[in-house]
Amino acid sequence: MILEAFKWIGYAAIAYFVVMQLYLVLLAVVSGFALRNTYHLGRFGRVTEMLSSKTSPPISIIIPAYNEAIGIVDSVRSMSIVSYPRFEIVIANDGSTDDTLKRLIEEFDLEHVRIPYRPDIATATVRAIYRGHNAVDITVIDKENGGRADALNAGINAARYPYVLCTDADVVLDADALVRGMQRIVADRERTVGVGGNIRPLNGSEVELGHLVNASVPGRLVARMQVLEYLRTFLASRPAWSAMHALPLVSGAFGIWRRSAVLAIGGYKAGHLGEDLDLTMRMHRYHRSNDIPYQIVYEPSAVLWTEVPDSFRVLRRQRIRWHRGLMTSIRDFLPMTFNPRYGALGMVTWAGFFLFEYLAPMIEFIGWFIVPTAFFVGALNTETLVLMLLLAFGAGLLNSLASLWLDEPYGYFNDPKSTSRLIIMALIENLGFRQITVVWRIRAIFGGRGVRGWGNMERRGVANLATDS
Amino acid sequence: MSGIEFLRITVLVVFSLNGLLALTLIVWKALHRRRQKGYERRRVAYLTLLSRHLADPDEDLEMSPMVAEDQAFLDALIDIRTSVTGAESDALAEVIGSYGVMDRYARRLGSRHFRIRRLRAAVALAEVADSSRAGVLMKALDDHDPEVRIQAARGLGRMKWTPAIDKIVDRFSIETPWVRARFSDTLIGFGQKATWPLVAYVKVNHRFETAGPTAAIRTLGTIGDQDAARPMVEVLEQAFHLEIQLPTIETLGVLGAPIAVPHLEALMDAEDWRLRAKAAGALGDIRDVSAVDRLALGLTDRNWWVRRNSAAALGKIPGGVRLLYHAISSADPFARDAAAEALYDAGELIAARRRVDQGEATPNDLALIRLIAQEEVLAS
Repeated sequence: MILEAFKWIGYAAIAYFVVMQLYLVLLAVVSGFALRNTYHLGRFGRVTEMLSSKTSPPISIIIPAYNEAIGIVDSVRSMSIVSYPRFEIVIANDGSTDDTLKRLIEEFDLEHVRIPYRPDIATATVRAIYRGHNAVDITVIDKENGGRADALNAGINAARYPYVLCTDADVVLDADALVRGMQRIVADRERTVGVGGNIRPLNGSEVELGHLVNASVPGRLVARMQVLEYLRTFLASRPAWSAMHALPLVSGAFGIWRRSAVLAIGGYKAGHLGEDLDLTMRMHRYHRSNDIPYQIVYEPSAVLWTEVPDSFRVLRRQRIRWHRGLMTSIRDFLPMTFNPRYGALGMVTWAGFFLFEYLAPMIEFIGWFIVPTAFFVGALNTETLVLMLLLAFGAGLLNSLASLWLDEPYGYFNDPKSTSRLIIMALIENLGFRQITVVWRIRAIFGGRGVRGWGNMERRGVANLATDS
Repeated sequence: MSGIEFLRITVLVVFSLNGLLALTLIVWKALHRRRQKGYERRRVAYLTLLSRHLADPDEDLEMSPMVAEDQAFLDALIDIRTSVTGAESDALAEVIGSYGVMDRYARRLGSRHFRIRRLRAAVALAEVADSSRAGVLMKALDDHDPEVRIQAARGLGRMKWTPAIDKIVDRFSIETPWVRARFSDTLIGFGQKATWPLVAYVKVNHRFETAGPTAAIRTLGTIGDQDAARPMVEVLEQAFHLEIQLPTIETLGVLGAPIAVPHLEALMDAEDWRLRAKAAGALGDIRDVSAVDRLALGLTDRNWWVRRNSAAALGKIPGGVRLLYHAISSADPFARDAAAEALYDAGELIAARRRVDQGEATPNDLALIRLIAQEEVLAS
């Protein structure tokens, strides 16, 4: 009886992983079809004509900053040379204790000014507002510490344009990223309330004068693993979700939103560890429950490069924070899970998040004990066990290779050497890296103290990241 | 087939597929890199040959007629075309003609299949903008592919083919917003020649739909032809959709049409705050001094956007600055900050600081500096 129970629990655990990997492979196939269309438009569609167009809608770039003195100036410079006809930059200094504010004031010749600040979304107290007579309008909102979401809300309050790009202080935008993101707005201004961009790890790449000049695969294994993860997420999953009108997450690093829609749902939820996921899901819920036609889309050619953790210590902190954010959102939006009223969002993507993101670490963790025990007590057939494990591993590898193929038209890692390094990484990531992330996520479920607030990693500054290759 | 056999076959298929994907990816990358290098080499070679030929038309080009099929050749032609004028431009046109480049692309554009080939052909024809191909591009305005239609309009715009204006404007109502936006760019390129077709389109359609006329009204504003002001005032009087009224007000502001001032002042009393705010902004753009008093009243409007736009507008109009100085001592903190922002944007803070440095500060300067920069300046 016990043997029989062990047998079936063991098989169920492995079958769960086979199903999960096949689900991801299926998403990659759908993403492939979805990417074909956007790729053709990007390559031949002359999206950049929007640059000279006087009809392109203006946008406010919101940068929340907390203790970013080391890289804030480079980041703002990078943002200010982005190609777009009309935009402003709003930096929300969230009570930094370092020289973030001082560096901004000195570098951009800012002055303490009085402008009408209307707190449409309640935030921590705004202490002062700074502005300068630069080629690009730069406004700095100096406020008391309230967390990333709170800083974003302050920036959204101060934004003057109808669209906002919510991003981070440690990123570099591709020169045409904004125009490619905004193209999706222009294409359907009535319905499009949000556009998510494609995030890529910046580590190992060269940045000069705020521009990425050479994209390379990072030298450090921990960063290289993340390259593969980001490719899988942004090229093998999100295009499929977007095509199904069921994108559950517009990443916090690159999210273009219609300002009025963000105000309508009360902005980002302060103190939430997954504020981007929460905002996207609330946006879906608000529009669907009020029967307002809308769409939230993903644009793979709008590329933003971000500094990713290059040590296991910092990565651990980040992943614990992410998983706790996910857990909160799963709880908050539980009624949407497997709910046909929300269409593909409830039945496919959010259900997928619940089954394969939220439950995965617990099931995998249990599987680590049950499967070997069942095997040693003779409850599992050796050949069946080996074949199922191979299938799970093979399907995972297939997903990684598919994402490398999907990345091919964008031409960032064009040399066979970089490709070979990533393929090797796809082979070895299941031998340790994956297991470590499971432990971290388990820790997020049962502990996770000390991960609140900004959860900052040690910054090296976007201009200093090439040195690890 | 038993379960275990099925599992074996599945694993075999998955791993074969993995091997195939990995191998082909590496080979593909290598080939792609090689192809890219070859393309760059050929493009440079074509540029060199073409430059020599244009400098000395007697020098033979020594190229196979098949080069017309080569994308590198087309790109070299497009690159060089943007940098030559006069006799060199004629010589280049002769090269394009003699190699039949445009004939090939016109044929490709006419084919019904191969989306990318047709799109490339449309881009090529639009870039070269040879007016002998205007007919092909006019036909392509009805193409089922939106990107082809955009390129066709762009090409016709580049060759200033005025018969295309009516057709492009007519399509405003049936196009997607993306295509409409790109068509607007083309019409803006036509300048004043597009004014009356757009005016006619707006006047006929604004009662029945909003998307097309809205785009047309904004296009008129960007073209900036003063002749459009009176018809736009008429549209404003007749329009009952907010979606039409708002861009019309904005366009009247952009056109800087004093004829619109009484109508915009009347709209400052509208029930809808969006109309009042837009009218305030437009009055600021027109910069007519007669609007100053009405805008000063706008500083006490019940809506904060109207107050902010009124302050910004006053900052742009001669005589308005005086009222803004008055408003910085207002009891309403929002109007006070809006006035301070407008004064800052108008460069008054810099001027005030200069006067303080020179010992010529006025009470207004000191009040502004105290408010804006929160600096304590002692009057001496």
